[in-house]
Amino acid sequence: MKKILAVLLAGMMAVTAFAGCGGQTTESSGSSSGSGESESTAIEVKDSIVDESVFGDENNISLKVWAPDKAVALVKQQVEDFKAAYPGKTFTKIEVVAQGEGDAGTQLLNDASVAADVFSFASDQLNKLVDAKVIADVAFKDYVTQENAPETITAATIKDTLYAYPETNDNGYYLVYDNTVVNEEQAKTLEGILEACRAAGKKFIFNCGDGFYGCTFAFTGGVKIDGFEEDGVTQKFTDYDEAEAVATLQAFSKLMHDYKGTFTSLDVAQIASGFSTGTLGAGVDGSWNTVADQDALKDKFGAAKLPTINVNGTDKQLISMFGYKYIGVNASSQFPAAAQILALYLSGEKCQEQRAEQLGWGPSNKAVQEKPVVADSPVLQAIKQQSENACVQVNIAATLWSPMGNLGNKLIAEQTNPDDAEFFKKLLKETIENIRDEG
Amino acid sequence: MTFVEYKQLNPFQKFAYNFKKFFLNIPGALGRFFKGIGKAIVKFFVSIGRGFKNYGVTFAKGDWATKLSYLIFGIGDIHKGKIYKGIMFFLAEVLYILYIVFFGWQYISKFGSLGTVETHQVQDGIIKRTVFGDNSMLILLYSVLTIVITIVVFAIYIANIKDAYRHQLMRANGEKPTTLKEDAKDFLDGKYHITLLSFPVLMISIFNILPLIFMILIAFTNYDKAHMPPGTLFTWVGLQNFESLFDIVNTPKKATTFLELTEWTLLWAVIATFSNYILGMIVALMINKKGIKLKSLWRTLFVITIAVPQFVSLLLMNQMLQTNGAINVLLTDISHLFGGTEQVEIQFLNSSTFMARATVVIVNIWVGIPYTILSMSGILMNIPEDLYESARIDGASPFKTFSAITLPYMIFVTTPQLITQFVGNINNFNVIYLLTGGGPSTEQYYQAGKTDILVTWLFTLSMTSQDYGLAAAIGILVFIVCATLSLIIYNNSKSMKDEEAFS
Amino acid sequence: MIKSYKLRRHLSNALIYIILAVLGIIWVSPFAYLLMHSFRAESTITVPYLIPHEWTFQNYIDLFNVGSGGSAAINFPRWFINTLVVAIFSCIISTISVLAVSYTFSRLRFKARKKLMNVGMILGMFPGFMTMIAIYYLLKAMNLNQNLVALVICYSCGAGLGFQISKGYFDTIPHALDEAATIDGATKNQIFWRIILPMSKPIIVYTVLTSFIGPWCDFILAKIIMGDKRELYTVAIGLQSMISPEFINEYYKQFLAGSVLVAVPITLLFLKMQKYYVEGVTAGGVKG
Repeated sequence: MKKILAVLLAGMMAVTAFAGCGGQTTESSGSSSGSGESESTAIEVKDSIVDESVFGDENNISLKVWAPDKAVALVKQQVEDFKAAYPGKTFTKIEVVAQGEGDAGTQLLNDASVAADVFSFASDQLNKLVDAKVIADVAFKDYVTQENAPETITAATIKDTLYAYPETNDNGYYLVYDNTVVNEEQAKTLEGILEACRAAGKKFIFNCGDGFYGCTFAFTGGVKIDGFEEDGVTQKFTDYDEAEAVATLQAFSKLMHDYKGTFTSLDVAQIASGFSTGTLGAGVDGSWNTVADQDALKDKFGAAKLPTINVNGTDKQLISMFGYKYIGVNASSQFPAAAQILALYLSGEKCQEQRAEQLGWGPSNKAVQEKPVVADSPVLQAIKQQSENACVQVNIAATLWSPMGNLGNKLIAEQTNPDDAEFFKKLLKETIENIRDEG
Repeated sequence: MTFVEYKQLNPFQKFAYNFKKFFLNIPGALGRFFKGIGKAIVKFFVSIGRGFKNYGVTFAKGDWATKLSYLIFGIGDIHKGKIYKGIMFFLAEVLYILYIVFFGWQYISKFGSLGTVETHQVQDGIIKRTVFGDNSMLILLYSVLTIVITIVVFAIYIANIKDAYRHQLMRANGEKPTTLKEDAKDFLDGKYHITLLSFPVLMISIFNILPLIFMILIAFTNYDKAHMPPGTLFTWVGLQNFESLFDIVNTPKKATTFLELTEWTLLWAVIATFSNYILGMIVALMINKKGIKLKSLWRTLFVITIAVPQFVSLLLMNQMLQTNGAINVLLTDISHLFGGTEQVEIQFLNSSTFMARATVVIVNIWVGIPYTILSMSGILMNIPEDLYESARIDGASPFKTFSAITLPYMIFVTTPQLITQFVGNINNFNVIYLLTGGGPSTEQYYQAGKTDILVTWLFTLSMTSQDYGLAAAIGILVFIVCATLSLIIYNNSKSMKDEEAFS
Repeated sequence: MIKSYKLRRHLSNALIYIILAVLGIIWVSPFAYLLMHSFRAESTITVPYLIPHEWTFQNYIDLFNVGSGGSAAINFPRWFINTLVVAIFSCIISTISVLAVSYTFSRLRFKARKKLMNVGMILGMFPGFMTMIAIYYLLKAMNLNQNLVALVICYSCGAGLGFQISKGYFDTIPHALDEAATIDGATKNQIFWRIILPMSKPIIVYTVLTSFIGPWCDFILAKIIMGDKRELYTVAIGLQSMISPEFINEYYKQFLAGSVLVAVPITLLFLKMQKYYVEGVTAGGVKG
C-alpha cells in the first residue's frame, strides 16, 4: 500500500515539475520508480475518496455540476459531503444545475465552454461526445472498473479507453401493469396482456413511433446493432436471418391489428395519466416514469420485464434498447483534476446507495446491487431482468431513431396488411439502409 | 384582345384573363430578371474598372497630403482643416490594424484550409488534458467577420481618398471645408437617410448578413456528424452537397427526398395560401355584410387565434389530435349520441399521408384565416361608398354589386399580400414542426416524413443528424426560389410601379 | 316584390348568423378546452372526457409557488418577467428601426434606395435557424451568451427588414404635406417627427404589437442562447420544457395554466389595439 502511494507521489512530483507551476509540491517519501505516466492509474482510492495530493496544484476550485432536476437536491447534499471529505481544499463554488440527462450531450456539444464540468448523461450520447472530443478519459480507471458491474464498464469503453463513470444501470423500459387487470402469469406474454386488457376494456400503450421503443421490433426479430463500421459513423448490424426477422415483424403487426383499439401507440407520458384515469391496463414505460406510475396505481402497481411474443409457435422474448447513465467530465474543464475527483465521488458506492434509496435509481456499483434496497425492489428487479435481454445503448448512430420509429409506425398503421411478407421484407431492408445512410 | 373586348368581359372573366396573363408573363419576367442580373454584374465590373482609373488619376493629381492619404487615412482631411473627419478616418485605420493583428489574422490565415491542427490529448499526471486544435467553425465564422470588416474598411479607405481630393479641389477654388456643426445639420436634412439607416443597417449586417454569408459558405463544406468541431476539422468540398440533392444515381434517397419534398412544399404553399385567402375573404364578407350585427364580436372570436402565441395553440392542437385526444373524445361522444358503441380513434397525424396533410391544411386554416379576415375587413371598410351608391342607382342586384365592385377591388388590393403569404408558407416552420413533427414517417425519405416541407427537413438535418452542410445547401436553394419569385413579382406589381400614385 | 326581397335578406342574414356562430365556436373551442383543463384537478396529462370532473385553482397557485412542485427549475414568474423585459426593450428598438427604415424608403430619395429595398426584402427570406450557430458564436464573442441582452438583440436586429407594411402606410400620406413643410423651412428630421409620426398612429401600434408578441413565441433561438441558465428562460422555452419527458408528468396541468396566463394579456392587448392593427395592416398592405 505504501509503495503505491510513494509511486503516486513521485508521479505527482513529475507532473508539477513538468507543468512548471510552483503550486504545492507534495512530499516524496523516498523510493520512486518509473515515470509518472505509466503508473498514473495506480492511485489509491478508498470509498471513492483519494488523497488530496491528487488535486495537484488546483485550489480555490469552482465547478459546475449537471444533474437531472429530480436529483438536484440530493446531489447538492452529496457535493457538501464531498467538500467535507477534502478539508484541505478550498472550494470557491460548486453549483448544481438542473439539466436532463437526455439533453446533456447536446448541450455540451453546442458549447462545451459554458457547459458543466461534471455532468450526468445517458449512454447513447457517449459516442458523439467522444467523437467531438469534449469528454475526458476516466482518471481512476482501475478503481472504477473494479467497483462497477462489468457491462457498465464495457459500454463506456471505446478503443480501450474508459470515458465515463457509471452512475446507474437502469436506463431502459419495462412492463408496467395494473395488477387488477393483468395478473402475473398473463404479464409474461404479449398475447396474455392484450387479451386481459381487452377483456377489461382497457388499453395497452407501446410507443411504436419512437425509435427508442420501436427498435424492439427489429431487435426481437434478431436484427442487432454491432457498433460502428470503420468510418465511425455508419451503424453496423450483425448478420440476421431475414425470414425470421420478417416473421417476427409480421407477428407484431398481426397482434396490433387483431387487438386494434387495445394496442395503442402513444407517448409514454400518457401511461401514468392512463392509469390514473383507469383507461389503461398495461404499458411499456421508461424507468424514469416509475414514480409517476406508482403514484397513479398505488397498490395496484405491477412491474415485470418485457413479455414474450409468439412467432410461428415459439415464444420469443422481446429485446429492448437498454442503456446506462454515466457521469462524465468535460474535457475543457478549468479544474480537470478536481472534476475527476468529484465525478469519482458522485459515482461512488455511498452516493449510488443514496440515489437508490431516495430516487429509486438502479445502481451500477456491485456492492450496492446486493443491498436490500435494490434486491427487494420489484421495479429494479424487472429492469435488471430486462437488461439481460437488451441491446446496449452505446455506439448508436443519430440516424437510428427515426427509421426505427418509422418501422414501428408502419407495423401499427391501419393500411398495413400483416400477411404481406414482401412489404415487411422491403420495409426492413429500407429501414436498415436509412439508418446506414446508404443512398 | 382589344381594350373594348376586355371591357365587355364580366369581372370573373377579367380576373381569369389577368390571372392567365400574369402567369404567361412569368417567363418574360424571369428573362428580364436574369437579364437585369447580368446587366448589374456588367455594371459592377465596369464601375470597378472606373474605380481603378479614378484611383490612379487622383493619385497623380493629388498634392502631398492627398498622396499620403493613400497610406495613412485622414491626412488629407486634417491638412485641409477638416480635423474631426480626418481623425475619424485615422482611427478607423488604427482600429482595423489592431483588429487584424490581435484577432483577425489568426483566423483569416487559415481560411483556405479551415484549420489543420487536430484536437488531441496530452498526459498530465493522472489526468489527460485535452488540447484543442483548430476549430474549423470559428475559423470560418471569424474569417467571414474579418472579410466583412475589411470590405467596410476598404470603403472607408476609398471615401478617405475621395474626401481628401475633394477638399484639395475645394481649397484650390478657395472654398472652406464645412464645419462639424454644418455637417451635423446636414445629417438631419440632406443626408437624413444615412442617419436613419445607419443603426438598422449595422444591426442587420452583423446579425443577418454576416451569419448568412457564413451559412452560404457552410454549404460548400463537409460540416456533418463525422466532421464536428471542436473535436474534428471540416474542410471545403465544393459542390458535393448540392450534387447529392440532385444525383439520383449515387444518392437516390436524398435526391428523391429533395424532389418529393419540393413538390409537397410547393403544393402546400399553394393550398395553404389560397385556402386561407378564399375562406378568409368569405368570412370577412359575411362579417362585414350590411345588416349583420355584433361585427366586433365576430371579429374578436377569430382574432383570439392570432393573439395566442402559435406554439401554444399548435401544441394544444397536437395534443387534441392524438388518438386519445380531445377531438377523438368529442367524436366518440357524438357517435354515442347516435347509438354508436365503438370508440373513435382516428389517427390524424401519423398514419395516412392524405389524412395528415389534410389535417395540417385544416389546422393552418384555423391559425391563418384570422389574419386574412382582419386585413380584408379593413379593405372592405375602405371601398369608396360612392361606388356602391352609383351601382344602387343603376339598380344593380347585390350579387352584381359584389362581382362588379367588391371582388375586383379586393383582388386588386390584396395581390401583394398573397405573394408575401405564399413565400411565408414555403417557410412555414411552426405549423408543420409543432403539429406533426414531419410525420407520418416513411422509409422512402432520408430523415424526413410525409408532411415535412423543405425548411422543417433542413431543421431536422441540422438538429438531429448534424448534416449542416446538406442543410445549408437546401437552405440556399429554398432561398433562391423565394427571392427570385418575390423580386420578380414585387418589382412588377402595380403598387411598386406607381409608388407615388397618391402623392 | 319588396316583401319577398326583405324576406330573402332576412333569410340570408339568418343563415350568415348561423354560419358565423358555428365557425366562432370552432375557432374558440380549443381555447375553451385549454382554459377548462387548466382548472382540472384530477389526473395528470389527458383524460378521456371533455369537461373536467373536479375544478381547482391549484395549478395556477403552484405555478407561482416556485419550488412547491419539487423543482426550482420551473420558475414561471421569473420567466414571465424575463419575457416581459425582453419584449419591451426589443419592441422599442424594433419600432424605432422599422419606422426609420420605412420613412427613409418612403420619403427620402438617394442613390442606392431601390437596391437597398430589394436587398432588404430578400434578406428576410432566408430560413432563420440555419444562421443560429453563427449568431450564437457572434454573441459569445461579445460575451453576451446566456444573457437577456442577447435576446433583445436577436429579436430586434432584423426588425428593419420588415419595412414593407409601414412603408406602404407612409406612402399613403400625401406628399403635399412634406412639401409645404419644406417650404416653411422644416428639415427632413422635423418632418419625420412632427408631421409623419403623429399621422401614423395605426402603423406605430401595428409595429409595436407585432414586435412585442415576437419574444413570447420564439422557442428555438432562445433555447440555444440560454443553454442551462434556466432562470433566464423566456416563457416559450420554459413552457416547452414543462412538457419535456422529464417534467411532463408533474407539470402538464401547470403548462396549461401557464399557457393561459401568457395568452390572456396578449389577447387583451390585441383586442384593445385591434382597430389600429386593422388600419395599419390595411393601409400598409394596399400599397406594400
